[in-house]
Amino acid sequence: MATLSSGVEVGTDRRQRTLTRWLTRERVAPVIAGLAILAIWQVVVSTQLPSFVARPSGVILAIPETVASEEFWLDVVVTLGSILEGVAIGAAAGILVGVAMGRVRELDWFLSTYIRALYALPLIALVPIVIIWVGYSPASRLAIVIISVFLPVAVTTADGTRAISKDYIDVGRIFGARTHNMWFGIALPSAMPFIVAGIELGFARGITNAIAVEVLASVPGMGMSVFTKSNELNENGSMVYVVCLGVFAVSVRAGMIRFRHWLAPWYRGT
Amino acid sequence: MTGGSGQARMATRESFASRVNRFRAVNAWWIRIACYVSSIVLLLAAWQAFGNSFGVLFVPFTVTMKRLWAMLVEGELPAALWVSGQLYLVTLVFNIVVGVTVGLLLARNKLVSAAFEPYVYILYATPTISLVPFVSVMFGFAFWPRVLVSVLISIFPILLGTLEGARSIPRQHLDVAAIFGSNERQLWRDVIIPYVTPYAMTGIKQSVALSMVGTLVAEFFLNPDGVAAVMLEGTTVVDSAKVLAITVFVAAIAVVLVGVGELIEWFLVRWRHSAVG
Repeated sequence: MATLSSGVEVGTDRRQRTLTRWLTRERVAPVIAGLAILAIWQVVVSTQLPSFVARPSGVILAIPETVASEEFWLDVVVTLGSILEGVAIGAAAGILVGVAMGRVRELDWFLSTYIRALYALPLIALVPIVIIWVGYSPASRLAIVIISVFLPVAVTTADGTRAISKDYIDVGRIFGARTHNMWFGIALPSAMPFIVAGIELGFARGITNAIAVEVLASVPGMGMSVFTKSNELNENGSMVYVVCLGVFAVSVRAGMIRFRHWLAPWYRGT
Repeated sequence: MTGGSGQARMATRESFASRVNRFRAVNAWWIRIACYVSSIVLLLAAWQAFGNSFGVLFVPFTVTMKRLWAMLVEGELPAALWVSGQLYLVTLVFNIVVGVTVGLLLARNKLVSAAFEPYVYILYATPTISLVPFVSVMFGFAFWPRVLVSVLISIFPILLGTLEGARSIPRQHLDVAAIFGSNERQLWRDVIIPYVTPYAMTGIKQSVALSMVGTLVAEFFLNPDGVAAVMLEGTTVVDSAKVLAITVFVAAIAVVLVGVGELIEWFLVRWRHSAVG
């Protein structure tokens, strides 16, 4: 046992050492590439383009001013708050409808025409009609985020709950599971990876579409500020907002992937 | 469930449930058709019935269809479609050519891909719409800036799909090619391209639908043009018939494009089966 464990230890140790050697090379490369991108951006803009165009040094200098302003935090709160609210509502509704569609195939046949047609439709095409119905107001943004999340979640939940193994159903039957046990005790947990993938997709679309509504319906928020600041020739300030949106989007993505690994470690999807 | 003893009620309910299940199983095909038809009929009936109860905000189905027909005949919509269609096709071609090429190049060089992949993912995750003001300041509002925005929105799935595919080429395939003395050109012709084709095709399938998203976003946000401009005109004057008509029309196009994508995949699957079998 001792020799075995020490043997294993030596093996992993060596592997780890080669791993770190391999990693440093692969880790240094992106840093160099990133610095090179920033340097080229800086040089090209400052030598070729007018002074108001965003450049790395300008963006860094614009950070304190932007972050100190009350307006910035107001924008962050309304936009991100609205996105989170929409994701929560859309995901809850999507899971309910999706489980029902996955378990009752008549319901699936009844709803799938619309769900799939809407899912195929670029949701940005729905923004004009939503503006007409809901108005030039933050409610339009919320409505679009809800739809953006609801559709992928409903589709993936339906796919996930439909695809559960016959064995699970049989075991459930043998143990006398009732319908709600089947839906929420068996189908829903086994569809979790699908559901999280749906929320991930919906979240990304929700962020994009929330910005789209803000710009098209003149709803105050981060997306709106990106465009107004740019129109005021304050591109560096505008870029600070873009960077914040990017950080939010990237961390949402990374967070969802971690969440899925934690929730369903057996699932080996993307 | 009004009368009878508990036991009798239990018995009838059970047999009723099993009869329902048998009915569902035996007549599945007809029930399916009935579900599809009734869902469409119900929606159209509700649309028609409630169409007049919200004033100008919502018009009945027939009014919407008449409006759509009028726009098609008078040439307003065909003209807009011509503009949008050009942008769509150029975007699609760019996505396929640039996406596959860059994906392959990134996959073939480990260091280059390690260097640039994080930025590709960051650009992919960042809401591209927020980059529109920078594109318009640097390049203006004409056709090619639009292509740039449209491509930035829709290129990533095909690029990353190709990259993923090229990276998953089994080591043995490359080793065998090396043992038999393949040069770079033969390696590409005999190993890489055949292996990556299915992945690229999946990317193309996605791109067929996604390029439409890119086209619409570029048209909405870079000085409105094409179909998006017609929609926004309708929105500003609260002409719900016009907006509804175009929304339905765009949805129909989207469904057709997704269908085309699925057709590509169907051919692909058949081709794969014939290649293997």
